Amino acid sequence: MARILLKDLVKQFGRVTAVSGVNLEIHDGEFLIMVGPSGCGKTTTLNMISGLETPTSGEVVIGDQVVNEIEPGERGLGMVFQDLALFPHMTVFENIAFGLRVKSVADEEVRRRVLQAANAMHIAPLLDKRPAQCSGGEAQRVALARTIITNPAVFLMDEPLSSLDAKLRLDMRTELKHLHERLKATFVYVTHDQAEAMTMADRIVVMRGGFIQQVGGPLDIYRRPANQFVAGFFGTPTMNFLQGKVETDGGRLRFRAKSIDFLLPAGAGPGSGREITLGVRAEHVLVGKGAQPGRVTLTEPLGDETLVFFDYGGDAPLVAKVSPELHLSSGEAVTFGLDEAGYHLFDGATGERLN
Amino acid sequence: MRGAPGARAQASFARRHHLFWWFRHAALVAWSMFIMFPIYWMLATSFKDAGEWVTWPPHWYPYQPTLYNYHQIFAFATMEKELSRQATEQVFSIWGAMGDSMLICTVSSLISLLMGTFLAYSVSRFGVGGKNFRYLILTIRMVPPIVIAIPILMYYAIMIPYTTDALFGTRISLFDSYTGLGLLYTATTLPFVIWMMLSFIDEIPYTLEHAARMMGAGRVYTIRRVVVPLVASGMVVTFLFIFILNWSEFLLALTLTHPNVTTLPVLLNKFQSAVEGRLYGPQAAIGTVITIPVVVLGVVIQKHLIKGFSFGMIRK
Amino acid sequence: MAEAGARPSGGAAGGARIRAGRGGGLAAWLAQERVFRLIPFVVVEAFFLLLLAVPFLLTLYISLLKWRANRPFEQAFFQGFDNYFDVLSDVEFWWALARTFYFAGVAVLLELLIGFLLAMLCAQEFKGRRLYITIFLVPMMVVPVVVGYNFSMIYIDSGPLNEVLAPVVQLFGGDPRIRWLSHPIAAQWAIIWADVWQWTSLTFLIFLSGFSALPPQLIRAARILGAGRWQIFWRVQLPLLKPVIVIAIVIRSMEALKIFDQSVLLTFGGPGNSTQTVAFYLWRQVWQFNKFGFGAAASIILLVMFSALIYYGIYLLVRERATLQREGG
Repeated sequence: MARILLKDLVKQFGRVTAVSGVNLEIHDGEFLIMVGPSGCGKTTTLNMISGLETPTSGEVVIGDQVVNEIEPGERGLGMVFQDLALFPHMTVFENIAFGLRVKSVADEEVRRRVLQAANAMHIAPLLDKRPAQCSGGEAQRVALARTIITNPAVFLMDEPLSSLDAKLRLDMRTELKHLHERLKATFVYVTHDQAEAMTMADRIVVMRGGFIQQVGGPLDIYRRPANQFVAGFFGTPTMNFLQGKVETDGGRLRFRAKSIDFLLPAGAGPGSGREITLGVRAEHVLVGKGAQPGRVTLTEPLGDETLVFFDYGGDAPLVAKVSPELHLSSGEAVTFGLDEAGYHLFDGATGERLN
Repeated sequence: MRGAPGARAQASFARRHHLFWWFRHAALVAWSMFIMFPIYWMLATSFKDAGEWVTWPPHWYPYQPTLYNYHQIFAFATMEKELSRQATEQVFSIWGAMGDSMLICTVSSLISLLMGTFLAYSVSRFGVGGKNFRYLILTIRMVPPIVIAIPILMYYAIMIPYTTDALFGTRISLFDSYTGLGLLYTATTLPFVIWMMLSFIDEIPYTLEHAARMMGAGRVYTIRRVVVPLVASGMVVTFLFIFILNWSEFLLALTLTHPNVTTLPVLLNKFQSAVEGRLYGPQAAIGTVITIPVVVLGVVIQKHLIKGFSFGMIRK
Repeated sequence: MAEAGARPSGGAAGGARIRAGRGGGLAAWLAQERVFRLIPFVVVEAFFLLLLAVPFLLTLYISLLKWRANRPFEQAFFQGFDNYFDVLSDVEFWWALARTFYFAGVAVLLELLIGFLLAMLCAQEFKGRRLYITIFLVPMMVVPVVVGYNFSMIYIDSGPLNEVLAPVVQLFGGDPRIRWLSHPIAAQWAIIWADVWQWTSLTFLIFLSGFSALPPQLIRAARILGAGRWQIFWRVQLPLLKPVIVIAIVIRSMEALKIFDQSVLLTFGGPGNSTQTVAFYLWRQVWQFNKFGFGAAASIILLVMFSALIYYGIYLLVRERATLQREGG
């Protein structure tokens, strides 16, 4: 059983509160990703699970045991660090064997299990090298092999892919996912990269300023972000936000912003007269349909689609995703509309979701 | 005439470049000669026969090279209490002083290295002693040694004998003892050890230790298998550096030891003062013998000297 | 703290050993985090306390006694601050102090200038650079006593310096066998040059590493913007080198003020008192004239004077180090 329970977890460094009251249940065998901007408390939370940091208050439960007082090495966890933390003075073999050497496992057994782990990670030819002689991807595999060798029930990963170049990072994502499926262990993974979180996670925990903002599956979070911060954090390009006011127009509610207004769908949450922010993703901005006028300022062809930035008279330009067949150039006048299904309404002051 | 101004500029550039080449090498050669001459003169004198020490005009090199000076200082015999000015027949064995220097420098450097390394580790990893501890420790190094020597003299020669007399009934004096000087050498080199080792330990990412702990290694095991192997070369460099410092130390040795314990610098000074510097040959030989090992060690750790002398303020 | 200890050889894992705060033997006790943090600190602090703090308290006490070491300690009697008045009213104490600052000031200035010039000449790669650097670094490894001795050899009446100067001196009809160390001013410069000989190596090394740490793209950028050699030097390189220069000044000054070895070896304070530094002066008072109470008081006075200097020096070091790290990082 590798269920992890965090109860009212708080961590303070002097006067700074890094984590303020986190409650979370991590299921057995789950791939959970904690994501947020730097300084949001995600790494500190991970370190409290690992035992490298002692919580100021609250409890960490692994299985059925409160582990606050237990040494990191005794918690049955494996951890991959941001800088990988391979021992530079040991060979790859000794690096992988370290966890077994600590437990004084017999040489025969060590050799057998190191070879097994190395084969699983496809690094058997590297065993006699030093970490400094390995490429970035190889070092990554060594770090993983070193972690899997003790068969931990929980893997903790602290931005393990951040040192890789873009191409390798994509490959390693797939590989990590395969590893998770094969080992059926619990993965707790920390990253600041929302794309990494979206592609790998079973569940995502979004953190900011020491608080959990939202917990949910990748698509849930993408489709129904709990607040404006989460909405802006996920998805490229960033969601369009329009500040405005809700007004009653006949029997229906109307969103009115600078030089632009839209009818809100029936049954939308906010009452009349309220300051709100309307969020719309680029794929829900429909260029060429609808009646609002705009002027193209910039286009970014991505190949399979094209991003169009256009000025509609508001504070910031809107961005839309269009088919690459649609040829637009800057300065060109267009009309656009918004897809009602893609409306996200947030409170103007608190940023909480309203619909 | 399009090319003319360009060509002229180029010619003047080349001329300036050439001049600069000469200036650079002239200046560097001049300074090199200034540096090397005193050392050369010592070496030359150490091979000169008694008759050549003070001739006028001086001999720029030994006309009749001899090893007699070295033979004299390496003699296996006890040295006379009083040195005579004439005495080319005298025995000046430096074995005693060499042994004293070796013993005190090795042992106190080792103790200092051990204490300093452990403290540097806890300062680097746990911030022991507060943020400014590392600077506080510097003050000890900056106080002029004479200001330390006077209190220590009274402490060693008066307070400790009185106290031991009262407590155990025997007078134990640390004055003129191996322990007394060794303790001081340990104290005066500790700041260097702490600073140098801090700079080495700070370079090791602490995630290595975290990784080891995550894999079940305890503190002691982590230090033995992860930290120590990584700082071992730094410890060797630090040891050599403080060994050189202790080997060269003069003031404390002069004031707090002799005649029982005599280090090499004090011995050389004894020659200089007792005979008004007239035993040039043996003195030059002693100077050479003291200098050579240290310069050799120094060249080995040349890259790291700056770390020591600048308290790690400047990295190379 | 109930933390599990280091058990590199421990066999079975189990719940029982997890909370074994005690009873794990010495290794487990050592492995407890708090212990590990504090032991080195406590040991070193205790060491300094016993070896340095206690003697200073004793010195404070003795400085209030009328006592010469050739008489037994029991016969010393309390006389208040007389020793302090004696020290402060001794003209030679002030002269020795002034001389120390004079020597240190001149020597450090020369070391900085020469060291900077040499480092500038060696900053770029050229043929023979490594050899020059190796030669220039030799002096700081030479035992200071030997340096003093070497210079005394060069200055003797039938020494090489006089031989070199002989043609000039004989031209004016003088005896070329000058006894340099018997002339007060020449003796003072002898001490200064010995210090410069030895420690220019350090300023050179500090400046050399300062030059090599200068980001080359900045100089390239300045050159592309049209700046000349001198403009680059004054406006780009020198401001960037400022922290290094300040650090060199502080470190060298603090060391130069300790000057003692050369006074003993080269001139023995003479001729007269012309090369008597404050360290040498104190040494004489205590070790030759046995004026213990006087020496104790002088120690305390010097310590107070120097603490202000040291405090300021360390303040500068901390400040410039921070600048260096900001720029370096």
